[in-house]
Amino acid sequence: MDEELKRKIEKIYKDTEVEFPERNRMVVKTKKASTLSILEFLKKEGFRQLKAISCVDWIKEGEFELIYHLAPLNSPLHVMVKIRIERKNAETETILKIFENAKVYEREIYELFGIEFKGNPDLSPLFLENWHDLPPFRKDFDTRKYVKKTFDEIPSVEDRNERT
Amino acid sequence: MRELELYFGPQHPGMVGNFSITLKVEGDRILEAIPNPGYLHRGFEKLMELRNWVQNFPFVCRINVIEPDSMEAVYAMAVEKLANIQIPERAKYIRTIVLELGRLASHLFGAWAYANMLGFDTPAQWAMADRDHILDLFEELTGGRVYHIYILPGGVRRDLPDGFEEKVMHFLHALASKLPDYNETFFENRIFYERAKDIGKIKKEEAIEWAATGQVLRATGIKHDIRKIEPYFAYDKVEFDIPTRVDGDAYSRILVIRDEMLESAKIIMQCIEKMPEGKVYERTPNPFKWKIPEGETYVRLESSRGELGLYLVSNGGNTPYRVHFKTPSFNHGLFILPKLLKGASIADVGNIMISLYVVAPEIDR
Amino acid sequence: MDRKNILKWLKEPGKMGHKYSLWAVYFCTGCGIIEIPPTITSQWDAERFGVIPVATPRQANLFMITGYVSVKTLKAIIRTYEQMPEPKYTVAFGSCPINGGMYWDSYNTIKHIDKYIPIDGWIAGCMPRPEAIFIGVTKLWMMIDKGAATGYIRYRKNYKFYRRNQEKLFGKLPWPPLYPVDEKENKNG
Repeated sequence: MDEELKRKIEKIYKDTEVEFPERNRMVVKTKKASTLSILEFLKKEGFRQLKAISCVDWIKEGEFELIYHLAPLNSPLHVMVKIRIERKNAETETILKIFENAKVYEREIYELFGIEFKGNPDLSPLFLENWHDLPPFRKDFDTRKYVKKTFDEIPSVEDRNERT
Repeated sequence: MRELELYFGPQHPGMVGNFSITLKVEGDRILEAIPNPGYLHRGFEKLMELRNWVQNFPFVCRINVIEPDSMEAVYAMAVEKLANIQIPERAKYIRTIVLELGRLASHLFGAWAYANMLGFDTPAQWAMADRDHILDLFEELTGGRVYHIYILPGGVRRDLPDGFEEKVMHFLHALASKLPDYNETFFENRIFYERAKDIGKIKKEEAIEWAATGQVLRATGIKHDIRKIEPYFAYDKVEFDIPTRVDGDAYSRILVIRDEMLESAKIIMQCIEKMPEGKVYERTPNPFKWKIPEGETYVRLESSRGELGLYLVSNGGNTPYRVHFKTPSFNHGLFILPKLLKGASIADVGNIMISLYVVAPEIDR
Repeated sequence: MDRKNILKWLKEPGKMGHKYSLWAVYFCTGCGIIEIPPTITSQWDAERFGVIPVATPRQANLFMITGYVSVKTLKAIIRTYEQMPEPKYTVAFGSCPINGGMYWDSYNTIKHIDKYIPIDGWIAGCMPRPEAIFIGVTKLWMMIDKGAATGYIRYRKNYKFYRRNQEKLFGKLPWPPLYPVDEKENKNG
């Protein structure tokens, strides 16, 4: 059943690669432009739930990698659809029309990595307030330097050793 | 009537955890609910990239405070898959017992939270007192009441002490004999039935569309459990059932939780009978020099709230390259909760939020 | 009642009565959500010590900061603390408020909380057991007897330094200062 699915995908979409790296896991590597049509095809084949959207920052290659995790209800197979985006002006299309619960995952990735999702109506900040620095999960954001600059510079009000 | 804006805020006598919802209200009906997370955000996934593979163990159990064992177990599974380590048979059975005891403790905590929110003090005090006996068992086994650091890559940290199995069986028999009291006071109480029936109703097709997992999905009639779909540890060697209900409202979810507690007790008793002898730990290399080969993996297990998943990427170094936790409360609390609160009354906000089993530290990480 | 204490009760009845009934605001700020419910329910009963949880800060005079504090939570803590009537006491649990604890290099947690609000007592542990919480409460009673639990008096005396620290972290604060701050002194100091 899995081999048949692989043949179907590779016949329709010419620029994708399908692999089975371990038992019950399928990886589909594709280009940014055919994301929406591959996800719609997989949803019709039975992969009806979007579990998560992850993002990895490959700073040495100058690219972000987005991974969409899909799973069906009655079989143990788990699919990861991977695309690559360039790092400088990172943007891509939203997948709200296919999976409605992608709204919250895209909001989180916009705040922590800085990738813009065109078509998503609500990209307001989720965890951080008044944040004016780099998006914090990128590899060039040094969190220890930030802590020294912001928190350690504030002086204490009274000497701790004075009190009994 | 005028439209008002209220804060069901972080300081509230029924709120469990640090979470806030902004409500737009007209009279007693809610027009719109906007959840406001971020009060517990520590940037966990970024901090884990700065510590090596073994230093992350005391760190990772503090993500979800109410059930820390499932976080340790999912990280141990991912590291063992990437580094290709096989764990001994006895360790698999011990890990199953620890996970099921953690599930019982978490369900009793949820029963306290729900009864406290509704103002129903008697079963709340009973549930919290019974949970304390489980924490005493954990203290004898691992040394700590709340944070255990017991499940490591390669097995578990040490073997069961003498007389531990008898204490566990004694506790399970005591809990099962209290069940008629719980049924009469809490689960089959007429006032609780009126409060929880037909609140927060979800249909079968909606639950699949909205990617719900755990009790939220099982209360609508679908038998879906990761322990049966992709068994891990010793779950393929014990027999247990998956309870479901068909209505999809808050009352069905609480009854599914009650039936699951009995199934957990059955699993623990079977594990104690079938456990083989042997060693419990497989040696791993020196933690300061341990480099795991390049690769990526996705592992999942069934926690007490739903499907918990971890996506781990390694680039051949001493520390992880990227760690991403897929937690069940992220979806239930930020996507399903505002949809269910539209049109509800103010007295039911806490009702719906706790019956969906939303826990704030899992959302923020 | 102990016969040795009768003199103390006759000399200062107000202090003895208020010491044995400290009511705590119910606000779970961090990891400590896991050890507060066992402390206030029937297994480790905190009502023997006079500590019960109340619903609003206007009725309370003990504030327990349980666990780490993030930047968003600190705003809620300052607003709650300023709403409590005097005399009020604060106790910090765990090792994270003392010096950052396990999250010392996180960009969103507060490392030393007594730069922003005054703290009377610290309890070490990760999470402290219910017995440690009770020992902390009895030590607070001894401090109240000696007159050393003076957090709220220090807040009133040094208010302009606390307010300056809070504004360095958050920018301009949307609520007015609690005690009058002199504008001329602020520019120099």
